[in-house]
Amino acid sequence: MSILAVSNLTKKFGGLTAVNGVDITVQKESITAVIGPNGAGKTTFFNLVTGVYQPDNGNVQLGSTSLVGLKPHEISRHGIARTFQNIRLFSNITVLENVMVGLHNHLKGGIFGTLLQTPSVRREEKRAKEEAYEWLEYVGLGSLLNEEAKNLPYGAQRRLEIARALATKPKLLLLDEPAAGMNPRETRELTEFIHRMREELNLTIVLIEHDMKLVMEISEQIFVLDHGVKIAEGKPEEIRNNVNVIEAYLGKSAVTGA
Amino acid sequence: MISEILQTLPQVLVDGLTLGAIYAVIALGYTMVYGILELINFAHGEIFMTGAFVGVAVLFFMSGAGWLAVMPAILALLIVLVVTSLVTGVLGMGIERVAYRPLRKAPKLITLISAIGVSFLLQDIVRFITEWKRGNYIVTGPQLFDSKIGLDFSSIWSHFNDAILKTSSVILLVSAILMMIGLDFFVNKSKWGMAMRSVAQDRDTAALMGINVNKVISLTFFIGSALGGATGVLFAMQYGTINPYIGFILGLKAFTAAVLGGIGNIRGAMFGGLLLGVLEMFASANLQKLTGGVFTAEYKDVFAFGILIIVLIFKPEGLFGKAVTEKV
Amino acid sequence: MEKLKSFLSGNKIAQGVLIGVYVLITSLALYLSQKSVVAFLLLLFSLLLLYYTQLSNRLKWLLAGVVLVGVLPWAASSGPSYQSYMEVATLVGIYVAMALGLNIVVGLAGLLDLGFVAFFAIGAYTYGIFATGQASNFMPFGEYPLSGESFWLFILVGCFAAALCGVLLGIPVLRVKGDYLAIVTLGFGEIIRIVYNNLDKPINFTNGAMGISSVTPPELFGMQFTYPSQFYYIVLGILVVVMFAVRNFEYSRIGRSWKAVRENEIAAQSMGIHLVKTKLLAFAIGASFSGMMGVVFAAKQAFVDPTSFTLLESITILVMVILGGMGSVPGVILGAAVVTILNLQVLTEVTNWLNQMSMEGAISFPEALSPSKMQRFIFGAILILFAIYRPQGLIPAKNPVFNEEELKAHAAKQTGKKSSVPEDRAMQA
Repeated sequence: MSILAVSNLTKKFGGLTAVNGVDITVQKESITAVIGPNGAGKTTFFNLVTGVYQPDNGNVQLGSTSLVGLKPHEISRHGIARTFQNIRLFSNITVLENVMVGLHNHLKGGIFGTLLQTPSVRREEKRAKEEAYEWLEYVGLGSLLNEEAKNLPYGAQRRLEIARALATKPKLLLLDEPAAGMNPRETRELTEFIHRMREELNLTIVLIEHDMKLVMEISEQIFVLDHGVKIAEGKPEEIRNNVNVIEAYLGKSAVTGA
Repeated sequence: MISEILQTLPQVLVDGLTLGAIYAVIALGYTMVYGILELINFAHGEIFMTGAFVGVAVLFFMSGAGWLAVMPAILALLIVLVVTSLVTGVLGMGIERVAYRPLRKAPKLITLISAIGVSFLLQDIVRFITEWKRGNYIVTGPQLFDSKIGLDFSSIWSHFNDAILKTSSVILLVSAILMMIGLDFFVNKSKWGMAMRSVAQDRDTAALMGINVNKVISLTFFIGSALGGATGVLFAMQYGTINPYIGFILGLKAFTAAVLGGIGNIRGAMFGGLLLGVLEMFASANLQKLTGGVFTAEYKDVFAFGILIIVLIFKPEGLFGKAVTEKV
Repeated sequence: MEKLKSFLSGNKIAQGVLIGVYVLITSLALYLSQKSVVAFLLLLFSLLLLYYTQLSNRLKWLLAGVVLVGVLPWAASSGPSYQSYMEVATLVGIYVAMALGLNIVVGLAGLLDLGFVAFFAIGAYTYGIFATGQASNFMPFGEYPLSGESFWLFILVGCFAAALCGVLLGIPVLRVKGDYLAIVTLGFGEIIRIVYNNLDKPINFTNGAMGISSVTPPELFGMQFTYPSQFYYIVLGILVVVMFAVRNFEYSRIGRSWKAVRENEIAAQSMGIHLVKTKLLAFAIGASFSGMMGVVFAAKQAFVDPTSFTLLESITILVMVILGGMGSVPGVILGAAVVTILNLQVLTEVTNWLNQMSMEGAISFPEALSPSKMQRFIFGAILILFAIYRPQGLIPAKNPVFNEEELKAHAAKQTGKKSSVPEDRAMQA
C-alpha cells in the first residue's frame, strides 16, 4: 500500500528546472532512498513535499489528501517530519526544549491557560518534558538534555534533529543526508537505528543519501534523480546495475569503457 | 476639482522631480549597501544630514574668508560638493569599519541594532557641534543661487498654470542626474564596479577569484556615503534651513524609494526616488481636495510609508527586482 | 577578601543578613538625608544584590516585595523630595513593563520592532479621550468625561486595545521578511504619531498637537489618585501581573514557539508552528503591557500629547532591552531601571552640577554639551558598544535547567511498562 504518491512534480527556479515531471510512489512502512549526483534536485524534492516550496506543476498525495498548496506547518500536522541537510536546530535553547518544540501540535496550552497556569496546562507541560526526554533517550542523547543545542558535536546534532522530528509523531519521516560527515562506525549505528525506527514506530522513511553502502544496505526501493529528472527506480540490485545510473554518476565513458 | 489639480500639476511635477532626485541619490546609498551586505544601513540618512551640515560649514568658512564674493557660484558649489563628499565618504567607510565589520558574522538583528546606534550617535554629534559653534542647531546656510525661472506651462495647454523653477532646483537636478549616470557607468563599466557586482552576487566566490572583499565593501560605503553627503549639500541649497534630524524621515523615504525600485537594483532606486518624489508632492498638494478635507497635507508622510508597506507586502522584490527564494 | 567571598558564597544566612543590613543602612540614609540621590540609588541597588544571592526564589520575591512596598516609600517619605523620588520609581515601573513587553517581541520572538511606543500611545489616548470631554465629540451616547472609577476598567481596555492594534498592525507587517520588519515598524510608529497629531479634524478625536489636558484622575472608594506616591502602587500592582504573565509565557508551549521562530523559521514551521500566528501573539502580548501602562501614564500626567510618543521613546525602550540582555527578564528589568534613572536622575544631576560649576567660574562648560541633552549620543553609544562587545547584555538570558534525575526515573518506569525502547538498544551516545 502506498503512503506517498508524487506525480508529475515540477519546480522551476528562473531558467533552471530543479525538479522536472517526477513520479515517485513510496510504500507504507518501507525504507526508500532518493539518490543522485549533487544538484540533481533531491533536496528540492523534499522541500516540495514538505511545503517549503510550492510546486509549479504536479501533485503530492499523502494517503488520500493532496498536500499541494498547504503550508509547512499544515503538512507537519498531516504527519510528515523531516531533518535538514544543513542542520537547522534551535541553537540557543536546550536540547530538551528542541524536542519539546517538536511536540508543539500535540500540546493544547492556549493563551489564557498559559497565563493562569491552569492545572491542566501544568500537567501537560510536565508530560511534555517527560515525553521529550524519552525521545532523547531513544536517540541516545538523554544525558545532554540541558546543553544548548549549538554546543553538541556534529553527530549528536544530527540525532537531535531526528529526535525532534520523531516528537511530532510523523507517519512519514524524511531524512536529508543523515550520514553526512559520519565515520564508518557511526554510519553503521545509523543504519541499525533507521531499521529500528521503522520497526518500533511503524514509520515510513525516505532518505536522501550519498553513502552508497548505506543506501544499498538499507533501502527497499531506490529512486535516482539526475538534473531534476527521475532516471531510474527499483530495488538496490537493479539500481546497482542500471546503465543510466552509472552514466549519471560516472559519465558516459564509464559505461562504454567498462 | 479636476481642473484645480490640473492647474497645479506643472508645479507639482517640478517640485516632485526636485524632491525625487534627492530621494533617488540617497536611495542609491541604501541600495548599494543592501546589495552587497544585505544590511539596511540605518545610518545612511544621517550621513546625508551630516553632508548638509558639512556643506554649510564649508560655505560659512568660504564666505568668512571672503572667497564667495570673488568666485563664481558654480565653482564655489563644486568645491563644497567635493569637500563634503570626501568627508562623508570617509565617514561612511569609517562607520563600516568600526560598527559593521566586526558584526559581519553576527545575527542580522545585532547588526541592525548597531546601525541604529550609529544613526543616533551621528545625530547628536552633529547637534552638539553645531549648537556649540553657532548657538543653535537649526542652521540656515548662505545661498549661492537665489534666482528663479518662470516656466510657461500655460502656453503648452491652457489648463495648466505656470510653474516656478528655482535655479537651485536646476542645479540639483543636473547634479543628481550627473551623479546617477556617473555611478551607473562606474558600476557597470569599470573594473571596480565589476568587483562590486561580483561581491554582491557571492562574497565567498568573489574572494576566491582574488577580489579583496573588504576593500570592495569599503569602496561601496565610500561611494554611497559620498553621494549621500553631496545630496545633503544640494538639499541645503534647495531648502535653506537644516537641522540634525532631517536625515531620519528623509532616509526612511529614500529607503522606501530603494524598495520601490527593487532593493539592490541601482537603476530601480533612481526611478523609485523620482516616482516617490512626484507622488508625495502630488499627495501634499491634492490630498485635502481629493478627500474632501479629511486628510490634510500633514498626512503626506503617512502616504509615503503607506506605499512602502504596500510594496513590501504585495511586491517585496520591488517594481524592477527579481523574486528570490530562500535557500533551504 | 577571598575568605569573605568563600564564606559568603556558601552561607545563605550570611547573605540574607548582609542584604538586610544593606537595606537598613541605605534606607536610613535616604530617610535621614532626603536630598541624597545616591542613597536612593543604593537602596534600589539592593534589589540587584538580592538577585545575585543564593536565597530561594520565593524568599527573594518576598524580600523584593518588602523593599518595594514598604521600605522604599517609607524611606523616601520623610522630606520634600518624596514625590520626586516616587515619580522616578513610578516611571521606572512603567518602563520596566514596556521593556518586558518589547522583550517578548525582540528577545523571545526575534522581531525587531522600532515603533513599539505606538502601543503605549494607544493605551494613553484610550484613557485620555474617554476621561475628558474629548469623547463627547464623536460618541453618540454616554456622558464624558467618565468618572475616575472607570480608570480600573480602562487598564483592561487599554490592554486589549493595544493587543488588538498589535494584531491589526501585525497582520500586514509580519508578512514582511526579516530586516524589512524593522523599517516597517519604524514607519508604523511614525504613522500612529502623525495620525494622533492630526486627528483633530474633521472630527476632533485627539485634539491634535495641543494634546488632551485635565485627564480625570483615577478614583477608588472616593479616594483620588493624583500624587506619584499613589500611582507608584498602581504601577507596582500592574507590574506584578506583567511579571507573572512573562514568567508563565516564557517557559510554555507558546514561549518555546517564539524562541523556535527566532532561532530558525523554516525548522519551526516544519515542527508544525504557524509562523504568522506565533508572531502575532508575540506582538499582541508585548503590546498589551504597553497599553496598560499607557493608561496609567495618561492618568498620572493628566495630559496626553503626541510628543511623548516619538521614535526616541521607541529606541529608549529598545536600549533597555539590549542593555539588559535580550530574552533575559532580570536583565531587561535592570536595563529599564538603569536607563530610566540615567535619563531622569543622573543626567539631570550631572547637568545641574556642571552648570553650577560653570556659574562659579570653575570650568567653562558649553550649554550644547550638557549631558541632559545627550541622550541620543549615550543611547547610540550603548547600542553600538553592546552590539559589538556584549550582545547578550548585562545579565544574559538563561535557559531553564531540567531535573535529569526525575526525568530519567520517570522514563525508566515508562520503559518498564511499555518495554518498547530498551535502553541498551538505544543508540550509543
